[in-house]
Amino acid sequence: MTKYSQVSGEIGEFSDLPFWKKADSVDLAYVGYGLLIVTLVIVSYILGSFNLLPRDPQDINLQLMLAPPGTAGSLLGTDFMGRDMLSRLIVGIQAYFLPGLLAISMALFFGTGLGVAAGYRGEKLDTGITYFMNLVDSFPRLVLILLVIAAFKPDIYYIMLVVGLTNVPAVASLIKGKIQFLKQKNFIEADIALGVPTSTIILKHILWHNCRSVLIIRATLGMAEAILMETSLSYLGFGVQEPTPSWGNMVQSGANYFMQGKFWPSTAPALAILFTILGFHLLGDGLNNILEGKRNS
Amino acid sequence: MTAVPILKIEDLRTYFHSRSKQAFIRSVDGVSLEVMKGETLGVVGESGSGKSVTALSVLGLIGAGPGVISGKIGLKSDRIQKNLLEGLEDFVKLTTRDGKIMEVSKDVLGWERNAERVMNKVRGKEIAMTFQNPASSLNPYMPVGKQITEAIRLHTSTKTEQEAKERALSWLHRVKIDSPRLRFDHYPYGLSGGMCQRIMIAMALASEPSLLITDEPTTGLDATIQSKIVDLLGELKSELGITTMLISHDISIISQLSDSVAVMYGGTVFEYGPTKEVLSKRGNSKHPYTSALLASIPSAQNITEKRYLQAIEGDVLDTINIPEGCRFYSRCSRVMEKFRERCAGHEPDLRETGSGHKVRCWLYFD
Repeated sequence: MTKYSQVSGEIGEFSDLPFWKKADSVDLAYVGYGLLIVTLVIVSYILGSFNLLPRDPQDINLQLMLAPPGTAGSLLGTDFMGRDMLSRLIVGIQAYFLPGLLAISMALFFGTGLGVAAGYRGEKLDTGITYFMNLVDSFPRLVLILLVIAAFKPDIYYIMLVVGLTNVPAVASLIKGKIQFLKQKNFIEADIALGVPTSTIILKHILWHNCRSVLIIRATLGMAEAILMETSLSYLGFGVQEPTPSWGNMVQSGANYFMQGKFWPSTAPALAILFTILGFHLLGDGLNNILEGKRNS
Repeated sequence: MTAVPILKIEDLRTYFHSRSKQAFIRSVDGVSLEVMKGETLGVVGESGSGKSVTALSVLGLIGAGPGVISGKIGLKSDRIQKNLLEGLEDFVKLTTRDGKIMEVSKDVLGWERNAERVMNKVRGKEIAMTFQNPASSLNPYMPVGKQITEAIRLHTSTKTEQEAKERALSWLHRVKIDSPRLRFDHYPYGLSGGMCQRIMIAMALASEPSLLITDEPTTGLDATIQSKIVDLLGELKSELGITTMLISHDISIISQLSDSVAVMYGGTVFEYGPTKEVLSKRGNSKHPYTSALLASIPSAQNITEKRYLQAIEGDVLDTINIPEGCRFYSRCSRVMEKFRERCAGHEPDLRETGSGHKVRCWLYFD
């Protein structure tokens, strides 16, 4: 049931309800699912980093090669070397969690900085930054990553560095656009007239009060992108290397046994990738609709 | 009342450069004004006469690129005595030919930094301003109460957030917002234009400035709300004795609220003096422009007698090509043959015709 409280005023309706009560139920479901996935990922990450696993993920057991799901001691079965799938899935999160966070925080930090510089100062600086961003944007990302791998070594942190840097233009243009939109309303000018320091205007009035939701949304979508990048590169053999488990290289090594009817060694990590990325995307999408009100307008 | 000027603008010039026309838009072209302590100065004029640009120049809000190029703005309050355009000459080089400014070269960054330094203690604290469009002058994603609290925390010596909040609430009460506690947490989009204007006024006054500049406080509001805002401004003036510079194109508001009036046209002041003299129909010396403005106000009498409104012939002055002589020459109905040459050829000065009453017109020069 939608409730509106009537107040005197002609500029839009005003409702006192908290935003989760105003939101569409579909969006709430999106966000709920997304939060569930995020919690699962974080919990699994913590479990993995404290080694609280059902079994040792590196423990090779040749008696239990390709055991089907449900085998005693191995809930999701084992892979071709008899290693426990569940433990390996949990440890696989280590492969992308921190690097992914690094990538998005880099993208958000530099993107926000450049976006503010371009949007707030404008004019020549804006032109310069926009040219630079277009330049960065015009490099194909995968080629850049392969270049870095070839030049240094196939390390996930190097890859995520590139992912983060190539995400900077998107964030920068987002923030720039937002600030240019806000500048049309003259509250920034009013703030200056009120003597609010520039740093407060930028950090509090612009970024915190007007851009935080876009940044959160961008962060969730960026994380999904980083996971996809990590898993696909690991699948191709450029990312995390065996025997360290990653969802990507698990799919790759399991795929050999798929045609023998042993589907679980590849399907389990593939589904994990699917549901996780879906979760992050739906979280971003739902938040976008709720916080930015896209569905209402 | 002993008249002590708080703000003294002398020969302010704010030009913008039109890149496409390769010419200066002389928005403010030699404005001199004084705002006396405890008084309300009304600045009236049609669109494009430079009222708002004058106000924005006072607060240093005109972007540095092209912008304020010369003049003096003296601020003399209890706490601060300063020329707000201090050091301007160091950053702006003017090339003049025959007394006309031909070229301006400006050290934009240097001037901006200098202006920041000078304005730092002035904005909000000494001079506060409310803007034309109240609804968009508030941060759309911030509860209005918080915005007022912020102004209080910035400029007054309130120690705690709670104390600031109490004061913000008392200001909301003072500007007659009903149920202030409820409105405190509302966002601007949930409030009407009149309420936003009240919030803006509360925010401007909350920092206890020496001078309040209200730029078109009633535009965009319907007539009943307009009159309420005017009443509010009048009450605040008598209660708090605030010094105000009131900018409006609405003569009736100016005549109700202000003690003295400056009539602006084409970037200069045409007439300046006590409201009673300038805006009364019987005033003995009056600029033709002011008379024309007064005649163009619709009155009940006009309507019953089915008379047309008296519009001023012609268009607003093109501030790019300002003519040699009087700016109002082409539209003036009182150009007489014996003055024609003088009116068309030379610009008159702002000359005193009575006590404190100044007019810029050749009619009163003999």
